[in-house]
Amino acid sequence: MSPEWMQGAPKEYDSVLVANRGEIAVRVLQAVKESGLRAVAVYSEADSDSLHVEIADEAILLPGESLSENYLNAGAIIEAAKSTGSNAIHPGYGFLSERADFAREVSENGIIWIGPEAESIEIMGDKISARSRMISSGVPVIPGDEVSIPEDGAHLGPLAVAAAKVGYPLLLKASAGGGGKGMRVVREPKMLRTEYEAAAREAAAAFGDGTVYVERLLTGARHVEIQVLADSTGNCIHLNERDCSLQRRHQKVIEEAPSPAVSNSVRESMGKAAVMAAKAVNYVGAGTVEFLLSSNGEFYFLEMNTRLQVEHPVTEMITGIDLVQKQLEIAAGLEMGISQSEVPLSGHAIEARIYAEDATRGFLPAIGKLSTWITPSGPGIRVDSGVRQGDEVTVNFDPMLAKLVVHAPTRKAALRRMDAALSNFVALGVVTNIGFLRNALSHPSFISGNVTTDLLDSSDISEFSDPEPPIEALVSIAEAALRMGLDKTNTGASSNPIDEHTGHSGDPFRTLSRSYP
Amino acid sequence: MEWGIGESSERYSAVMSNEGEAMSLTTLMKGGEKLGSSSLLISSDDFPGRLVVEIEGTPMFAHVARVGDDWWIHLDGRIHVIRGHEPGGSQDQATNGGLSAPMPGTILEVLVKQGQRVREGQTLLVMEAMKMEHKILAPSGGEVSSVHYKEGDRVDMGSVLIEMTD
Repeated sequence: MSPEWMQGAPKEYDSVLVANRGEIAVRVLQAVKESGLRAVAVYSEADSDSLHVEIADEAILLPGESLSENYLNAGAIIEAAKSTGSNAIHPGYGFLSERADFAREVSENGIIWIGPEAESIEIMGDKISARSRMISSGVPVIPGDEVSIPEDGAHLGPLAVAAAKVGYPLLLKASAGGGGKGMRVVREPKMLRTEYEAAAREAAAAFGDGTVYVERLLTGARHVEIQVLADSTGNCIHLNERDCSLQRRHQKVIEEAPSPAVSNSVRESMGKAAVMAAKAVNYVGAGTVEFLLSSNGEFYFLEMNTRLQVEHPVTEMITGIDLVQKQLEIAAGLEMGISQSEVPLSGHAIEARIYAEDATRGFLPAIGKLSTWITPSGPGIRVDSGVRQGDEVTVNFDPMLAKLVVHAPTRKAALRRMDAALSNFVALGVVTNIGFLRNALSHPSFISGNVTTDLLDSSDISEFSDPEPPIEALVSIAEAALRMGLDKTNTGASSNPIDEHTGHSGDPFRTLSRSYP
Repeated sequence: MEWGIGESSERYSAVMSNEGEAMSLTTLMKGGEKLGSSSLLISSDDFPGRLVVEIEGTPMFAHVARVGDDWWIHLDGRIHVIRGHEPGGSQDQATNGGLSAPMPGTILEVLVKQGQRVREGQTLLVMEAMKMEHKILAPSGGEVSSVHYKEGDRVDMGSVLIEMTD
C-alpha cells in the first residue's frame, strides 16, 4: 500500500531498494522511511555490520568480495528487489547510478527507476555525445578539440595528434569517469603516455570501461554547478548553483552555495543554460549540470551528472527543498509543485567532506577503527554520516566517512559555524582530514571567496599545515589518562552512552549544558 | 612512560602529582632536560573517554582514545596522536633504506629493477589502494638493492617493497 501522499499518482509504489552503501545509502533510506515507504538495503559481506544495514527495514546480502559481484552486480540487485517486493530502486550516487543499461534493465523488470530515463543517462554519460548535444542546443562548451581513444596501447598515435591539436596543458579524462578517477593532467607531451596509461587503468578498475579523451585544461577557473529538477509532466527548474572550486586532484573537498563568484545575472544565465541542457536530453528527476566559470564571467558546460550529487545538501539548506523527497515524488509521476520564481535562496551553506586520509602524508587513505566518533550538532549543523563509533574503516571503499554541512545567514557566519563544528568533531582512531579542512577554510583565499580549482594542487601544502601542537598539555593528558586507566574504560562503541533524544552517542551540546562547567 | 608527538623522535615525560582525584603537572621533561611548566590540572569526567583539563585556570575537555601505543587526543578543536614509548625500550624500527607500503593494496607497476641507480623523486613503483593510484618515490638518489614484489601482488601495510643503498 503506497503512502497517503502518493495515492492516486500515475505510478504508485510502496517499497524502495537503495542500491548503494555508506552515507548516501543512509541518507536515502532515511528519506524513504520518512516518506512512509519500506526501505530495503543491499550490502556486501564486508558491510554486514554497517549503519545503512542497521537502519533499513530489510537488508539483502550480495555475496562475493569484488564490487562486480556485489554493488555493481545489476542482476543480483534486481533479484534482491524482486525477492523483497521492492517496486522501486534508488541508485544513490556512484556505483550503478549512471549506468544506462542498469536503468533500462530495472524498468524492463517492471521496477520503477528513481532517476532519469536510460536514454538521458546514455547521452550525458558519454562525454562526446553530451558535448555535441550541448553544442546543438546552444549550451556553451569548453573550447578545444577532442578525440575518443579506445582502450588499446596501439592508439597512442591518434591520441598524440589530438593532444597536439588541443594543446598543453590538457586534461585526459576517462569517458566513463567521475569523482576524479581516471582523470589526469598532462603538462607536457613526454608525459602523455604514462598519464594515459594511468588514467586508462584507473578508469578500468573503477568503472569497467577504459576509454579516455582529451580536453584543454582551463587554469584559474571555478567549478560551479547548477542543480536541476524536472518532472515527467514537462516542468524543469533550477535550484541555484553550488560552488565546488576547492578541489584536490579533481576530488571536491569543500562545496558551498551560493557561489561567492556568481552574480544574479550569471546565476540567471547559467540557470537557463542548465535547464536548456536538461531539456535537451528530456531529463526527469534531480540532476546537476556542471560548468567551468572563468574569471571574466564566461562559463562552459563541463558535464551533467544524471543522479543525486554528493554535495546535494548545500542546495537543500539554501532552498529548503528536500531533493530525495522530490525524487520520490517525481518517480511516482507527480508534478514537482514548485515553479522557478518560487525557488528560495536563503542564507549560505557550506559542506566539508570528512575523508579518512592523512594530509601530512600526501593525502594517503587511512584505515583503522573509529574508537571515538562524536559528531557536532546544533542549530544550522547537519551531519550525513555513513559510519558510527566502533566502525572499522578499511581500504575496500571510498574513504569519505561523512559530510558536515552548515547553514547560516551569511557566508561569514557560515564559515565561523563550520570552523566551530569542525572543532567539535571528535574522530579518534583513524586519521581524518578534519584538521586540514579547518586550515583550508581559514586560508585567506577561501575566506575572501577567491578560490579556483587549482588552489590546493598549486599551493605549498605548508600553507595548510596544522598549528604547533600544545606539547605540554598533550603529554600531561596522555600521562594522566594512562595513570587513570582511561584505556580500560573507553573500549569503543559499547561503553559510550547513547543519547535518548538524538540516538547518537555522546551529544556534546547536551552533555555540556548538563554537567559542565 | 616517555611520549613522542606523532612520528617525531623527540621524547617527553611528565612528572605529575596527585591533587585529590585530579592530577597536576609538576615538570615537563624533554630527554633529561627540564622544561618550564605551566599550571595544568587534569581530572576525570563522568563521560567515558573524556577528561577535564584546566590550562592556566581555563577549563576544557579532552577526548582520549588508546589504540595500541598511540593515544589519540582531541583537545581545543584539534586531534593529536601521542605515542607512548617504554623508557629504555628498543628504538623505533629503523627503515634501513627500505621503502614500505603506506597502505594495503595491489602493486600495479614496478618501474625499477635490482642494481638500477635512481635519482631523488624518481617513481619506483605504482600501487593501487582504495581505487586510487599511489606512486612510491625514491626519497634520495641511490641504488636499488632489492625489489620484493611484482605486478599484481597484494601487499599489506608496512610491507617493505623496495630496498635502496646510497
